[in-house]
Order: sequence, then C-alpha cells, then structure tokens
Amino acid sequence: MAAILIVIIAVLGVPLLVLAVMYNLLISRRNQVQNIFGTMDAMLKKRWDLVPNLVAAVQGYAQHEKSLFENVTQARARAMGGQMSPNEMVQYDNAVSQLMGVFRATVENYPQLKAGENFLHLQRTLNELEEQISAARRAYNAAVTDYNNAVEMFPTNIIAAMFDFERKTLLEFSEQDRRNPDVGKIIR
Amino acid sequence: MKTLDELREYYDTDLKLDLADFERQRQKIVTHSMIVFGALAGAGVLVALFLMLRGLPPVILLFILIGCAIIGGVYYYIAGLDYRSGFKRIILPKLIAFVEPGLEYRPEQGISKELFRAAGLFLHSIDRYKCEDMIQGKVGKTEIAFSEVHAEYKTTSGSGKNRRTEWHTIFKGLFFIADFNKDFHGRTVVLPDTAEKLFGLFGQTLQSWNSSYGQLVRLEDVEFEKEFVVYGTDQIEARYILSPALMERILLFGRKAGKKIYLSFLGSKVFVAIPVQENMFEPKVFSSILDFNVIAEYYAQLQLGVGIVDELNLNTRIWTKE
Repeated sequence: MAAILIVIIAVLGVPLLVLAVMYNLLISRRNQVQNIFGTMDAMLKKRWDLVPNLVAAVQGYAQHEKSLFENVTQARARAMGGQMSPNEMVQYDNAVSQLMGVFRATVENYPQLKAGENFLHLQRTLNELEEQISAARRAYNAAVTDYNNAVEMFPTNIIAAMFDFERKTLLEFSEQDRRNPDVGKIIR
Repeated sequence: MKTLDELREYYDTDLKLDLADFERQRQKIVTHSMIVFGALAGAGVLVALFLMLRGLPPVILLFILIGCAIIGGVYYYIAGLDYRSGFKRIILPKLIAFVEPGLEYRPEQGISKELFRAAGLFLHSIDRYKCEDMIQGKVGKTEIAFSEVHAEYKTTSGSGKNRRTEWHTIFKGLFFIADFNKDFHGRTVVLPDTAEKLFGLFGQTLQSWNSSYGQLVRLEDVEFEKEFVVYGTDQIEARYILSPALMERILLFGRKAGKKIYLSFLGSKVFVAIPVQENMFEPKVFSSILDFNVIAEYYAQLQLGVGIVDELNLNTRIWTKE
C-alpha cells in the first residue's frame, strides 16, 4: 500500500515540481525586466527634469534649433503626464539625446559658455545621467534577453505558451546613441 | 608617468652617481661572501676527510658541505641586509619620485589586511598576511596606493608527532587601490573567467549558481565575457561602472600585462589584484646595479601599478564626482 502511494506521489509530484520550478523561473525573469524598467524610467525622468535648464542654457545661442526645442518640450509634457511604453520612451529619449548634441555643439561654438560654473555643473550632471541611463538600458536589454530565452527555449517554452508569457522587445538605440561618446570633445 | 627614455636620461645624469656607491658596497659583499664560502667549503672538506680517515662513511662529506652552505647563506643574507635596506631607503624613493612626482614610497608599509579583505576578491579566510613596498600618492586627480601583498591559509594534517602544517597561497602579487571616477554604493567584482572558457554556455549556468560574490552580471561585450566573469549587488550599477569603454580598457590592460587580473569596485573605489610570482622592488645582490636593465625592471614593476590610472582612464572626471 505504502509503495503504491509513493509511486502515485512520484508520478504526480515530480512533474508538478518541475512545472513549478519552470513557472517560477519565468516569473522571476519577468519581474527582473520590470524591476530594471522601473529604475530606467526613474533615470529618464530625472534627465527630462533637466530639459528646461538645457533649453534655457542654449536657447539664446542656437536660434535655428527652435523647432527641436519646442518638440522636446511638448513631448516632455506628454511623457510626464502618463505612462509610456518602453519603446515610446526610448523614442522620446532619443529626441533628448539630440538636444544634448545641440547643447554640446553650442558649447563648442561659444567658448565663453564653458567658463560659467552653472554650465559646467549642468554638463557634468548630463554626462552622469547619460552614463546611468545607458547602463540601465543595457541592463534592461540583458534582462529581456534572459526572459526571452526562457520564453523560447525548451522546455520552459511549453510553460510560457500555457500561461501566456509573451516575448518582449529589446530597446532600439538610435544611430546617434550607438556612436561612442566623444569624450575628448566633451572635456576639452 | 615618465617614459623609459626619460628615465634613461635621468639615470645617466643623476642616478648613476648614487648607484656607484651602492655598486661598490655590493661588490664588497659579493667578494666577502665568496671568501667566506670558499673558506667554509675548504675547511669542510678537510674536516670531512679527517673524519673519513677515522672510519666514518663518505656521506659525511655531503652533510658537512650542506652545513657549510647554510652557514654561508646566512652570512650572505646578513651581509646584504644593510645594502638592501639602504637601496630601498635611498635609490627607490628617488626613482619613484622621478617617475611620478606625486608618489611616495614606504618600504616597511603595505595595504592592510582589512582593506585586502574588504575588497571582497579573495574570500578564503587568511591565516598569514604579509605586505611591504607601499607606494602611495596622487596621479593627476586620482588618489592611489599599492603594495606587494602575500596572503596565505594553512592546513594541518596528522596528529601528535606526525602533525604537519602546510601553507597555501591565496594571493601573492600587487594589490592596488584607487579612487574611482564615478560614485556608486554597491559592490561589483570582476574575476578572471575559468568556467566559461572551459564549458561555454554551461559554464555560464555554473557561474550563476556561485552566489558567494553576488548576482551574476552578464555583459554584452563577447570578448570581455570570455575572459572575465562579473558579479554584483546591482545589475544597473555594475553596468554603470563597467561601461563599454571600460570593459575594452580592462581587456587591453590584462593582455598588455600578460597576467590574470582581478578587480572589485566598492565604496567608490577600485581595487585591482595582479598576481606576481617574484619578490618586487627587491635589489639583487648578485647582479650589477650599474646595468640600466636592472633599473628598467623596477620601472616595469612600478608601471604595473601606476599605469592602471591611465589604463583605466581614472583621471577622466566628466561625471558628477570630481
């Protein structure tokens, strides 16, 4: 009798245990993605908070970029208002990166700007945030890759299909971001 | 940091004068040691012959010669003490001050055991710890300190009369600490990779089970991943520190030095451990110090430490930390 019980427990229990382990793996990877996304979101918002300062700093100098400033300011209002999807967020963030490009070019063209204490501080803060955001993006993509691997690889893909775990998309980087930052230019 | 050519010029114009005194002292030690060795060996042979004539077995010669060699070795060591400490007191500080003016040399001091342990690179408990040849100061904007370190643990086997203690090295080499150019709060550890090299993807799985260092951080630089494994307390912070540019630099540095390197990032500082077999910054009594190659060797040892600042670009301060 006891032997039969053990067999029954083994036949039902072991697959259930395996199932639970695989399910938990998927959940933990999905949570990891969400967790990192949360941090990235916070960092991007920090950078967006700097946008008004950035615009104020260069507006007087870069007249022909006016439309860019307006677009970014409008997008910022939208972004601060509601939730954005990861990819929308990146799109907006790319626009901010473009604005930073203008900022740097302006600093290059007007050396007197570089002398200002506020300006230097702004520049350092921007570099810092950019470095942190890029780290968060890389961490996000690594977490998504881990999660996608689990969703698509055997045997966890069976559980993923059963419980509707869907593949997540990686963040796309704009051409401008993919380029290595020209450190020499920034610190000169 | 001065180049080797600049050092050569300094050596020709300045250092050589000081070295000449030391060279005379060194030659004297060598000659005296030779005489003592010769006399001991001669006396030893005579005593052995005498004893053999008295009927003792010929193996006595071997014992007596080993005894003489030990006495000679002790004499040589004691005679060289003055010379070695003088060299460390006078020549090395001059050499170091020339090569990198912001640095100071303290032969008796070293990186403390507490700091060595705090870095979190070697987790084995330490039973014996030695350190010497501390070099400390500022290179550009970066505060650095490094020294020679030897950490060991012991194992005992058997009991009673057969009890034996063996010493095993945890780490021997150069241990380096510098102020890092970014602020961070957690801990990130970069270790030479063995599992992934041997077992590929399966190795990665093995690494993720090893949680004594923290979470496994998988980075996107394939070359870097092949040679190193990274653990950290925070996935994002690890990537904040290990930017693509820094990964490249660490890879290059490891290849250039031709050594395994261990790094950890903690409390806004970077700790680097480079295993080195030989005793560094130690004058050799049996080779002439008037040979520039000997000086070049000290330069290379110095560069291994001081060079890290440039290799890892620690003087670039474009982030909020100044």
